Amino acid sequence: MLRSCAARLRTLVAAPARRPGPVWRLFSSEKVVHKDYGLPNPSWSKDLRLLFDQFMKKCEDGSWKRLSSYRQNPTRVLKDFQTRFVDPRFMKEEQMSKAQQFTRSFEEGLGFEYVMFYNKVERRMVCLFQSGLHLQGVPGYVHGGAIATIIDVTTGMCAYAEGVAMTANLNIDYKKPIPLCSVVVVNCQISNTEGRKLFVSCSIQSVDEKTLYTEATALFVKLDPDKRLT
Amino acid sequence: MMKTGFQRVARLVHHKALPRNPHLLPRLHQASAFGSSTDSLVARFCPEKTDLKDYAIPNASWCPDMLSLYQEFLEKTKSGRWIKLPSFKSNREHIQGLKLPSGLAAASDKQDWRIFTRCIQLEGQGYEYVIFFHPSEKKSVCLFQPGPYLEGAPGFAHGGSLAAMMDETFSKTAYLAGEGLFTLSLNIRFKNLIPVGSLAVLDTQVEKIENQKLYMSCIAQSRDKQTVYAKCSGVFLQLQLEEEPSQ
Repeated sequence: MLRSCAARLRTLVAAPARRPGPVWRLFSSEKVVHKDYGLPNPSWSKDLRLLFDQFMKKCEDGSWKRLSSYRQNPTRVLKDFQTRFVDPRFMKEEQMSKAQQFTRSFEEGLGFEYVMFYNKVERRMVCLFQSGLHLQGVPGYVHGGAIATIIDVTTGMCAYAEGVAMTANLNIDYKKPIPLCSVVVVNCQISNTEGRKLFVSCSIQSVDEKTLYTEATALFVKLDPDKRLT
Repeated sequence: MMKTGFQRVARLVHHKALPRNPHLLPRLHQASAFGSSTDSLVARFCPEKTDLKDYAIPNASWCPDMLSLYQEFLEKTKSGRWIKLPSFKSNREHIQGLKLPSGLAAASDKQDWRIFTRCIQLEGQGYEYVIFFHPSEKKSVCLFQPGPYLEGAPGFAHGGSLAAMMDETFSKTAYLAGEGLFTLSLNIRFKNLIPVGSLAVLDTQVEKIENQKLYMSCIAQSRDKQTVYAKCSGVFLQLQLEEEPSQ
């Protein structure tokens, strides 16, 4: 079964940029007993819940889709990736079992509380993000690195919809500091593609869209199916 | 020409001509138009006696490379040219007695703040790092070992975690070199992936200080410099902190 999954991945990456389908199925429909973190919990503020409801309404006609979010990647996905792209010297069995999504490694409400919605036609990923007390930088504000993380994760998911890709460049312009524990909207969109290159633009705004906190551009490169990463 | 929100506040604070800090140490070197010199900033940042826990010290999760390079740098601190920076749970603990200017200070009754890069307290799982600072040359070296919680591509640290480590190194360097406080921009070019549990060495340099901004560059590489993980340039805004009113 592993070999057929690897073969499937190979054809996916080799195919010209087409609308996401198989890649999403690989990640979203995996039968897991793990918790889906992309759903409201008691730490979510009223603002975040309202926004969540608004976007869930948008999902009703199928133009938007809510992304499930798990703490760990399904083992099958991990093994596929390592078999295809990684030099065997770097494969550590024990580490694979300990690894988990960083953004989901916090106690409820203390880190990144977020949910992503994807629009296939617009190639747009929206992330509703509420920062917790453990993301602090300058007292009272979100750490620049935490902002870089949520941008990398959101632009990454936007690029991933087009194929397995790695971040090549990340350019972030911080316009205004984001108050800790506030809710912001991270809006990413594929702005251009050139062969294996994917250009993604991103903005972070307040819920009422009156404040622009951050602007960013990212360049992702789809993995070459014939080359190893290491 | 419209100035950004940040810079508008910074100009207001600057023009108020805040009184000089009366507690400045003797033998000052004026690093910039701002009040405090690097010497006094470092002295305040690295309290000699403190009960605060310093997270930037070796623990069982540190790989041999990180341990030996740490020892090398510790030797260099004996001459006084390099300083090992302490790393407390929150930036509030680093700036005790100081506060943000009144336009920016956020009143809060919450207690459990934590600086982002110390958010995962389980040894070896998140950010393991220590920063050594060279005051006279305005440069620093950060020894960084990403744990399995920072994984992106299976077995490797994700780009965002390196971006965060670079931002944090810039942040401490900018503050001590010239009261840099807020990130204005980051430009990162990723070259190679960092295997989880291995050592990445971040060399950071202040290139210039101009118009209330600190311009810095950073290169993250393997210890033997054979592999470049990423290159980054960052700009920080200078903003002077105010003294807390004495009780």
